[in-house]
Amino acid sequence: MASLFRTPSLIYGAAIAFRVILLFYGAWQDAHSPVKYTDIDYMVFTDASRYVSRGDSPYARDTYRYTPLLAWMLLPTTWSLPGFFSFGKALFAASDVVAGWLLSKSLILTHGMSPERALKYASFWLLNPMVANISTRGSSEGLLGVLVIALLWAVLTRRIYLAGILLGFGVHFKIYPFIYGVSIIWWLDGSASASASDTKKPASETREPQPKSKLNPQSNLTPVGVASQIFNFVTPCRIRLTLVSLLTFVTLNAVMYLRYGMPFLQHTYLHHLTRIDHRHNFSPYSTLLYLSAAGSGSGSSINASPGQGPSGGFESLAFIPQLLLSVILIPLILGKRDLPGTMLAQTFAFVTFNKVCTSQYFLWYLIFLPFYLPTSSLLQNPRLGISVAAAWVVGQALWLQQGFNLEFLGISSFAPGLFLASLGFFAVNCWVLGIIVGDIGGSLVL
Amino acid sequence: MRQRTTFIQKSTAPFSPSQATLTQDALTIQNLDAAREERVTFSFDELPSEVWQVLRACHQIHIRWASSRAYETVSPFSSRVSPGIHVFFSPVEGAAVGEGEGATESVCVLLKKVFDDGLGCESVEKSFITPPILSTRFASTAAYQFYELLPSLENLVTYIQQKICGRDDEECFRRAELIRSADSIDINYDSISHALTMSGFWSSAPEGQKGWSEIIRKHEGGTDQVEVGLLGADKASEPEEIKMGGLLAAIGKEKELKPALFSFPARHHLLPDDARYSVTFSPSTGLHPTMTISMARSSLEQPQARPDAACALHAYLTLPSSVFGDKYQLSTTDPLFLNSHNLVALRAVAGETDLEAPDWFVSRWGSNWLLELDSPSESDQSSEDWNVTIPLHLRYLRPSESGYRAASIPWPVVFWACTAEDGTKMSMNPFDRVNLGWEGLFGPRTMFYQLHPSPGHGDGVLVEELDVPVLTLKEGGSVFGSQVIELGTVAVIVLGFLWVLWKLGLVARSSGIRSQQGQRTDKRDKAE
Repeated sequence: MASLFRTPSLIYGAAIAFRVILLFYGAWQDAHSPVKYTDIDYMVFTDASRYVSRGDSPYARDTYRYTPLLAWMLLPTTWSLPGFFSFGKALFAASDVVAGWLLSKSLILTHGMSPERALKYASFWLLNPMVANISTRGSSEGLLGVLVIALLWAVLTRRIYLAGILLGFGVHFKIYPFIYGVSIIWWLDGSASASASDTKKPASETREPQPKSKLNPQSNLTPVGVASQIFNFVTPCRIRLTLVSLLTFVTLNAVMYLRYGMPFLQHTYLHHLTRIDHRHNFSPYSTLLYLSAAGSGSGSSINASPGQGPSGGFESLAFIPQLLLSVILIPLILGKRDLPGTMLAQTFAFVTFNKVCTSQYFLWYLIFLPFYLPTSSLLQNPRLGISVAAAWVVGQALWLQQGFNLEFLGISSFAPGLFLASLGFFAVNCWVLGIIVGDIGGSLVL
Repeated sequence: MRQRTTFIQKSTAPFSPSQATLTQDALTIQNLDAAREERVTFSFDELPSEVWQVLRACHQIHIRWASSRAYETVSPFSSRVSPGIHVFFSPVEGAAVGEGEGATESVCVLLKKVFDDGLGCESVEKSFITPPILSTRFASTAAYQFYELLPSLENLVTYIQQKICGRDDEECFRRAELIRSADSIDINYDSISHALTMSGFWSSAPEGQKGWSEIIRKHEGGTDQVEVGLLGADKASEPEEIKMGGLLAAIGKEKELKPALFSFPARHHLLPDDARYSVTFSPSTGLHPTMTISMARSSLEQPQARPDAACALHAYLTLPSSVFGDKYQLSTTDPLFLNSHNLVALRAVAGETDLEAPDWFVSRWGSNWLLELDSPSESDQSSEDWNVTIPLHLRYLRPSESGYRAASIPWPVVFWACTAEDGTKMSMNPFDRVNLGWEGLFGPRTMFYQLHPSPGHGDGVLVEELDVPVLTLKEGGSVFGSQVIELGTVAVIVLGFLWVLWKLGLVARSSGIRSQQGQRTDKRDKAE
């Protein structure tokens, strides 16, 4: 088995072959069965591309809620050349493989792994059937995976300009990567020597923690101490990353706004502020949101504008625990110990505490698992690992069973079925998040 | 008030001259086994002011109502709409914006007053839909359209008796009461003719009666016409035409029933009795019900139009907002999908087609869908019913105590549309019927052959009831009231949040200790 990972061409070849087979299989199923392999989202993207190719706005397609860049990227799908309709799927699948390659390179940097060990853990992504399936069905999460992992790799190798561009682009693309901005800026420590060797060695190796101002709070409470702390914090690296990412984000948005105007802002960003998310999903908030949306929509307005949203209930405070954890506490407490681990914990917290959660969101943190697993107590303590995996799977299965009863059998399972199932799944996720936090917190300070 | 009464007898129904006797000022009908159309034309001064004030703001308004009971049709009254009330409305052109707004609300106020106070009609902008947005054909429909399933016209009867009939006009009261047993009602007004006509159709005499028995008198003032026809329809030599023959009389003006034989081109033609369809939803449909339209194969022969006529089978769906189709799914050109449902194409769609909104955020009444259906090929020898399936989706509805809410879906109308010879003038037909919603989606020279809805199950109603699963909410101290959901969610989220905070706190504390004591690798295990 180990020898298998010594020849990267085999692994990458297998990852590519796997996706090529799935692409052809998908094309075959689409051509021969009324039940399509292609994801419904892919039809949305390609419809939007078709609008763009005719000089229209991609937002002419209902439920297109992405940056116009995606529709532009998929313009080749509108060419009437055989097979080009699958161009987007091939692009997403190729992104997957590139993400896997960057993953293995980053693992070498962060864990000091041998290339074959890194490839072994990267295979968790590269050969993961769920990942290959999602991108070959035409979901754009693969693009996001490569963006996020490239961001991490650029930061690890101190390519600050590249990192800033990727961060700004990622936030433009899907908003949530903004959470990584905090941990990266915090991690980019002025005192740390700017080289790739500054990253984590295997956990078994002991190293003296570097002296850091944060770790000696008593001596820094004087005004001078605070001022020097702030002064120390503002390093050229941090300024550069902040400015470049902001500039990228603002430029992209300005260009898109000038081209497509209000519909761009509405569908890409504002929609997320006004959406009501009353439909059942994995989020613990979903039943509450259904309840409050039904209570507040008593009028006859056509659109759910913010004023008519949930009527000042608890759900409007949902962003507090979510952002407190994923943007402030996790980056601050864990950020300097282990950047990819922190990004995993951030993403996990963001998804777990989000007001809406569907299975594509799980891919967001899946890409970081290879960084965490090698040193995690889940692998070191197989009993714990198996319990966690079992609890997560059972939590999912219980929810899916209730969802199936509702969606396909027409049984009213909102309460207590889905309500309890989503709370149970949330509890499992919190437990896992606690373990991740503990593991990463217990790892070496760099 | 002009009045026209037409009795249509099938060729098999018995008729003897003694069943209809005309005197100086009345026609007496006895046990006449016939379908009936009644048409009354009002001028402005015969209407209550609240009605004509609204009409003045209308360029045209057409109301179509059909009973939810199944009924038979006869030629030339063979056209149908889905059960319920359909309102087609165009405001007066060039009306000032402010004026227009007032007028569009007053349309709803009047509709509620006349038909049912519970109608979900708030104003034209909020409740009416606008005509097809995906039409691939020449469309000539009104600017706005409203629909609601209205099982009874009780309110209309009362309104006519109180507001239109004279205080002691027993004849008017009696005629208004006839509306209760009508199978369909049309009301038409347009600003060119400045007249409001109201017509009703009865497929047979009211239940419990052998046939129509009544005395139709001339109008009291003697000024307004009262015409009566006793007719039968037959096929004409031209496929576009209908031939009618029988007796006509203008009461009070003529002393004898006059024989008549005439023919005219017609839009709507009758199919044989066995051209039937039924509509079902398979049980346990979940949130994605599939409507099945079943037709006997033997009845699916193309209508007897001209040999060179092109004919296509269509269904026109009227879906309340709780149910909707995915226009992207249905407008696909994928032959696999279409063949698996026996569909050809989505031809037109109008109204609420939002894919995500819950029902309570949808203010307009719903949507209309014109679908072209596939028909079995001639080589197909199977004897099973021909099933067309239409995948639909349910919106989220408000919570209820039982965990379910009913969605009532009227049966669609199913018909053949065939091209007619150039130059055919359908409007020459004295019984022509337009503004049905679906016919305007076709060119003016199209002939329609309507299949007969035939409910297989007992109640004979052309409405399907779906149980939509909703959030079960038992108010008043029960286990799953809204407070339990609210507090339960908050409690679990706070606990989860505190657990993660606790783990983070342990990390923060241990790092403080560590900075003083140096590395301790076993810290993590203690925290576990």
